[in-house]
This record gives sequence, C-alpha cells and structure tokens, in this order.
Amino acid sequence: MLKANRKLGIIFFPAFDWAISPTHPERQERLLYTQDQLREEGIFDIEGVGEYKPDVAAEEDVERVHFCFPEVSAVATRSHLISAGGAMKAGDLVMTGERECAFAMVRPPGHHAMKVVHGSRGFCNINIEAVMIEHIREKYGHKRVAIVDTDCHHGDGTQDVYWHDPDTLFISIHQDGRTLYPGSGFPNELGGPNARGRTLNIPLPPNTSDEGFLMAIERVVLPILEDFKPDLVINSAGQDNHFTDPITNMNFSAQGYARLSEMIHPDIAVLEGGYSIQGALPYVNLGLCLSMAGVDYSHIREPNYNPEQIRQDKRTGEYIEELCRQLPALYFNPPPLKPGGDPRLGVISGDKYLRNRQIYYDTDGISETQQESVHLCKKCRGLRKVETRADSGPLCLGVEVPPDACPDCRARGYQLVEEAQLKGSNYRYVQFINRLDKEYLRFGF
Amino acid sequence: MLLGIDVGGTHTDGVAVDTTAGAEVVASCKVPTRHDDLLFSVTGALEDLLGKVDRAKVRQLNLSTTLSTNAIVQGKTEDVGVIVSSGPGIDPHSFMICRDYHVIDGSIDHRGNEVRALSSRQLAEAVDACRGHGVRVFAAVSKFSTRNPRHENMIRRTVCQGREGGGCEHADFVTLGHRLGAALNFPRRVATAYYNCAVWRIYNEFATAVEKSLAAMGLGHVRVNMLKADGGTMPLPQSRSLPVQSIFSGPAASVMGIIALTDIFHDSIILDIGGTTTDIAVFADGAPLIEREGIHIGSHPTSVSALKVLSIGVGGDSAVTVSGGEVRVGPNRLGPPVCLGGERMALTDALNVTGGCAVGDVAASRRAVEELAGNSGLDAGDLARTAVDAAAKTIFQATRELVEEINSKPVYTIHELVEDKRVVPKKIYLMGGPAEAMKMPIFQRFQLSTEVPAHFGVANAIGAALTRTTWELELFADTQRHVLFIPSLSYRENVPSGYDLKDAKNDAVNQLIMHLDSMGVPLAAEDAQITHASSFNMVEGMDQVGRNIRVKCQVRPGVVATLGGR
Repeated sequence: MLKANRKLGIIFFPAFDWAISPTHPERQERLLYTQDQLREEGIFDIEGVGEYKPDVAAEEDVERVHFCFPEVSAVATRSHLISAGGAMKAGDLVMTGERECAFAMVRPPGHHAMKVVHGSRGFCNINIEAVMIEHIREKYGHKRVAIVDTDCHHGDGTQDVYWHDPDTLFISIHQDGRTLYPGSGFPNELGGPNARGRTLNIPLPPNTSDEGFLMAIERVVLPILEDFKPDLVINSAGQDNHFTDPITNMNFSAQGYARLSEMIHPDIAVLEGGYSIQGALPYVNLGLCLSMAGVDYSHIREPNYNPEQIRQDKRTGEYIEELCRQLPALYFNPPPLKPGGDPRLGVISGDKYLRNRQIYYDTDGISETQQESVHLCKKCRGLRKVETRADSGPLCLGVEVPPDACPDCRARGYQLVEEAQLKGSNYRYVQFINRLDKEYLRFGF
Repeated sequence: MLLGIDVGGTHTDGVAVDTTAGAEVVASCKVPTRHDDLLFSVTGALEDLLGKVDRAKVRQLNLSTTLSTNAIVQGKTEDVGVIVSSGPGIDPHSFMICRDYHVIDGSIDHRGNEVRALSSRQLAEAVDACRGHGVRVFAAVSKFSTRNPRHENMIRRTVCQGREGGGCEHADFVTLGHRLGAALNFPRRVATAYYNCAVWRIYNEFATAVEKSLAAMGLGHVRVNMLKADGGTMPLPQSRSLPVQSIFSGPAASVMGIIALTDIFHDSIILDIGGTTTDIAVFADGAPLIEREGIHIGSHPTSVSALKVLSIGVGGDSAVTVSGGEVRVGPNRLGPPVCLGGERMALTDALNVTGGCAVGDVAASRRAVEELAGNSGLDAGDLARTAVDAAAKTIFQATRELVEEINSKPVYTIHELVEDKRVVPKKIYLMGGPAEAMKMPIFQRFQLSTEVPAHFGVANAIGAALTRTTWELELFADTQRHVLFIPSLSYRENVPSGYDLKDAKNDAVNQLIMHLDSMGVPLAAEDAQITHASSFNMVEGMDQVGRNIRVKCQVRPGVVATLGGR
C-alpha cells in the first residue's frame, strides 16, 4: 500500500455544468480527463490522501476581498462561489491540522480578478486565492503569506489585490508580458509604497523549458521565501506553461511541474489556468498531487514527451540566468517609487499614493476607468480608496480600512463613506471593507 | 417458495418464505456454523427447512456464505499470476500483490488510445515465469482497460497460447480486469482481479458441491443465487467467473432483511447486534448507503461494491472490564457470557441483571456481576447499568462518527448519488440476538424512535431469501473515435458521429435487459435504472470534434416482496 509522506487533502470541483461558452477553453470538458486519470491511478486510495467536498463561499467571503460592482451576485455565479469555497476548504484543512497540505483542484480560476470586479477578466471573476487567504486570516488570525503563481499568464489580479499588503509576498513566474495576455508582470511592478518588494515578477521568455523554470525557482524564489519566512506558502498552480498548451508558448513538463512543487513545498495549491486538457492536465495534476503528498512521481510522463525536442535554446538559458542575477535585489533592496514614474504603477502626491488605470475585461468586454488612492500613513498601511467606472456606467466607490488600521485611518474611512452617502455625491454604489472591525457594508441599492 | 440461507460467523440462519400471497415466513431455523465444512452448515439448514415445507414448491434458494471471505482470511487461496501493463503514472510496482506479479511495458491513455504497444517479449517471459511456478490462474490487468481492453485481451491470448474460449491448456482461469466493472481505478482492478483468481477454485468446488447436494435432495429444479455484498444476488452459474463478488455478503443480507421487514423511508440507522460485533448501516431516505468505490479486502482496496457497514467490537458476548473506575464493553470476546457457561462477565450478563433479558442461567450472571463489582468496589446494580450504558454509548459514538464521515463526502445510495444530502437519522432499527434487550438503552442514548422488527433473529436469512438479482453496467462512447464500449460485458461496437446521450441511454438499458435475460432473469425496462449519464462535447481548437458519453445503468437493488402484507 502506498502511503503519503505528507497528508494531502484534495478538493475536486470540476464544475461539469459550467462554461464561458461551448468551445471556450474554460468549458465543461476541462477537468474530465484529469478526473479520469486521477481515478484510474487510485490516488484517493493512497493512505494519507483524502478527497473533500468544496464549501460554498458566502457573499461576505467575497466582500472581504473585493469591491464588487454593482454587487457580488452580479459578478459571481454559483460555480465561482463553489470554486472559491473549494479554496477556502483547502485553507481550513491545513489550518485545522486535518491535513498537512491541500490542493484545490477547482474551476473556474481566479488569479486575473483584481481588487475591483465589474465582470470577468482572463476567464476569472473572483480571486479564489485571495478569498481563501483573507478567510484564513479572519478565522485563524493574521498570517504572513507567500503566493507563488506558476500560471503561464501574469497573476495581475492577485498582484493588484495585494499591491499594498506588506504581509503578503506575491511572486509571479510567467511568460513575458510582451508576448502574452495580460501584457503585464514586469520587474518594475514591485508593489505600493508600504509594500515595496512584496510583489515580484519573473517574466520568462517563450520556449523556456524545465531547466529555465527550475533555475528561476532555485535562484530567485527559494532565497526570497527563505528570507520572507511565511506562515503559509500558496501555489497558484496554473498549468499552461506546459509544452502542449494551446494558448501559450512555453515548454514546461509534468515532471518539471512536480519538481517545482517539491521545491517550493506549498501548504496549499490552487488550480488556475491550463488548457491542454488531454495532453497536459491529467499528467500535471497527477504530478502535483504526488509531489505534494511526497509520493514518487518519477514514472509520470506525457504520451508525446520528448525532452530533446522541447529543450530551451542557449540564448534563452543565458537570458534567464541574467534575470536570476538581477531579480533578487528587487526584493532585498527594492527601489523607492520615483517621481515622474509610470502613473499606472502609482505616483506620490502629498500624503497620498495615487494610481490611475484603464483596465480591460477581455472576457466580458468591459473597460474600467479607475483611480486608486492610499493614504500614506506612518502608523499603518493606510486607508485605500478606489473610484471606478465600468464603460459609461455610474461612478462607484470602494473604501478599505486595513486590518492594522490606526484610529486616524479608521476614522477617515468612516468619514469617506459617510460623505459619499450624505452629500448626494456622484457615487451610485459604495462598498466599505473594514478589516479592523470585520465590518462589510454596501450602499446604493 | 423462496429459501434464504445466511451462513454467519456463529450461526447459519435459514428461512422459507411463501410468496403466493404477499410474503410469509413459513419456516425458519438456526444451526451452528462449522467453519471447516460450510457445505455441511448449508445442507444442515436446508434439511431442517425441508422438514417443515413441501420441497416440490421450492423455486429458489438464495445463499450468503463466508466461503470466499474465510478462504482469504485463513490464507487458503491459490497462487495467482498477475500480469499488468500500466503506462505512465504511479509506479505499478507499488501494487505488487503477490509473488508472480509482472509489469509489462505498454500504455493506453485516458481516452483509450494505445500509446505504446504491449511488449510481447516481456509478456512471454512473464507467462513462462508463472508457469515455472506452477501457476494455473491468471489475472490480466491494464491501466484504462475499461476504455480499451486490447492489452488485457492480448495477455489472455498469450496465457492461453492464442486459443479463444475454453480450450486453455496452460491456465484454468483468466480474469480480465475490465470484466470486473467499469470503474476507473487501476490499483483496485489489480487487487480485485487477483482475489477473483485466488478464490476461484475453492469457490467453484463449493458451487459444484452445492449443486450436487441439491440434486441429491430432489431440489435439482431450484434456481440458486449467491448474495453479493452490494445488496443483490447473482445466479450461481454466472457467479462462477466472479467469485470475488460473493465476499462480505452477510451484512447485506441483514440490511435487505430490514427492507423486507419494515416500512423504511426516513434517514435511519440499522444496528445488527450480534455475538461479537455490532454492524452499523445507514439509510438515506429509506435506501441503504454503499461504499463509494468498493470494499477493502485485507489491506487492499478493491472494486467490489458493498453496502456501507461499520463493524465494531460490541456484542452480547463482549467482555465487560473495569479499569481505573471506567467500565468498558468489548472490543474483545473472551468466550460466551457466564449465563451460557462462560467464565467472564459479558454484556448479556449485564443485561440479565438489569432485567433487559433473561438468557440462560440468570443467577450465574448475577454472581459474575457481583464478583466483578466487588473486586472494583462498585455496586452490582450500578455496574450492570453502567456496562449496558457503556455499550450503548460505544455504539452511539461509532454511529455518530460514521454519519459524520458520510456527511463529509458525497452520499451514494444503492439507487443513486444523492447530491448535497446531509444524513440526519430519524429512526433506529435493531436486530440480532440482544436487540430486544438493548432497545431501551439504545433509545436513551440516541433519543430517536427505536424499533425492533418481527423475526429480528432471522432477519438476515429473510433478506437473503427475498433479495433480487442485480447487475450493473457502464457504457462509454467516444464519437470522435467512433467507439462504444461496455467493459463488464466486453461489448464493443462502432457508433456514428451523430450518436448521442439519448442513444447511449437506450443502448445501456437494452444491453442490461439482454444480459439479464441471458442469465434467465426477466427484467422490465422500468426496473432498469440509469444512475449516471453525462455527455461532454470534445473540442479541439475551436471545433467540436465529438462527444464523450458515459452512462451507468443498474437493476435497482431491492427485495422481491415485503412481509406483513405490505
């Protein structure tokens, strides 16, 4: 009988009744063959590996994280709430000690969902990792969390949610944004003024294979994790770096993914993208499960795997080596925000940090105009305020009092929300997140 | 007239049920089980029953035996040559179940495509090695054989040196993994195929002996069915190639007995309190729950489906002990209770003292309880009451844990998967020897309506007698590959691109009816139940290239008649 070295909980929610559209990559069939492979392998019979049902995220679980306009039920379906609930279940399994690690193999994914949600971006509506992390923090006390996003696409949503959080380290390793959606994730994206260096992007060139990925993990990710000393390591386990993925250009393998997981040793993994549903997902998911459980994965091999054929060329290798030399400094000695820098990354104006952005929701075809400001506070991470409008829709306001808020920032938050209602201001919808007092309010309908 | 015989651990119970008008128990018996001669126990019960009823009216005998279970527990099994091909994934050597276990290169993927052909050289070597060890029964198992059985068939051909059908010089029996059921689970398929081979000979010898005995008793015309662990039966001739299915059928007999004896429609708990153990079963909306994937045999998970039953070490013979002021009942049995000539105080003795029952020598029970109470500085009445309560509490806690475990996972009843269902028991049914005596203590613990049905002592044999023949099949169709496959029947057919879920449902039901008909069991179309049906559009690029269809169909398990004029 096989036995896991590490007790693993698997939450499997394939959402067999949900698709963006019949032939969309994010469709019913996506996890079908993964399910077949895992069942045929008998993975749930391995001693120490257990299968669990997902929970369903409540509205409050989403409102703790996102400013949803006009409201949660308008942007998230039941499938989204179960997917997020699956991640929450993974968190609970690990935090209660029932399992040493957990893998939420759920869909739809979430890492492109930003702080503000008007609809679906990059197949994502709500950020399932963030919903999970904030659920953990609210239920089990504040934790230092490191998120390693290994999806092929930049985890721009997760980056945005944690842009100002010094207790959350977000590292995204992905195909260079100059060659792939969402076109972001460059090394100069380092986080807000109170959380500089807590966001780190590792853009890898197309055709990077196992060596390149594992080099970046070994030389960049591991030393930073070592220094950050997180209470929890979370892997946003997208699988579209695979050499067979139809919508990306990388050359990573199932063996590589399993090894990567072994190296970063996540407490919780959450499935993100990955659309080679027959050639990659069954093998990559199996590799991740075995690797997390500490079971030998060396016999996993894709049917058409030929390491020589997909090996990265010399130039790619050299480029990645150079990246690995330069990137760690951005975490260890992050450069401060410079005046006259890119306004999309934020500027300092008086006692405020300001960021103006246009955000495109590719899946739903929405254009959002957003202005974010954070009060620069010496005593806490500062009050966050977001004014946003989707297309020509009404202006909406989001106000967030952080969990470590000082009395001044807290008072400022209440004042903002009060003014937004009383003076008949321009805001149609107002959402207030008060993490300090665990108070979540919405007005305007 | 239907006969039911349940060979149990202590007793062999038998009943004769007349079904000419409703169902009525016209005879019953209880004979001791002789583990070294199960045939003797069966014929003993039969003779007893035939002394009370007209043998010419007997139509059918349903039999539940511990034969296969005992053979495995006592290690009286035969050496098996297990030959597997597995392809990528978990190292197949992890599932080595016996000495003659051979892994052959070759691979079939999750769609059923052959990725790599089976190595005929390695296969020939493996077969030779098994023959060298004198192996006569073989298990052929490949990964994803329930999608495409090509490798398993090739292994069989090699074992039989190319001969199809019965003429197999070098092997007496070959189990093909896909014939055992359509479920995807390679390690379970390996273990199930192994056990099917390991008990094949002993089971077939028993089956032949039963047939001979019946003929000798003038019962040659009687249909014989064997009970399965999942609450159904299979005809004796068919069971000869699926002997593993006869394992652990005892608890199923009891559960089916409750269905025959009571009007059960709530979420309920069934407690079968025996001599050494209490079997706990759970009903959801009146239907028993099944083990989702199959039972464990030894430490090996298998694909043998079974009703979900938890056995705990509390029964009438369970020893009562006192340590550190705490009174415990079980889990050990140290001989019979004192009232029946034993030496150590047991639960039945405590029940004799509390007045719950009056079994055997009640005075002896009182003396034993007083002695243990004296040694522990307790009052005898208190000790007896505490012991009974401790037994009820142990059963209560085990039941609660079982229900919690069930509620943390999807619930599968013998009928179907019940989504988002929380089992909240509303009623308790008690059976077995101490059932009447434990009724009040159990009621006080659970605070739920508690019922002891009529015939509670032979409910298991009644269940055996009335259980229906069942069969399950799963149809798998892939319209891109133009193939339809029903693993358990080894049935393959080409299908057109337009083949859809509706066609698949029709085909599944038709195949089920035809198969049962070939076993001599008539089945009305409405009794064939589809328990799973899904159709996934397969997309490549932006185009739909086909449908991936799965349909599961079964004869709804149940009893052919219920008692009490219902």
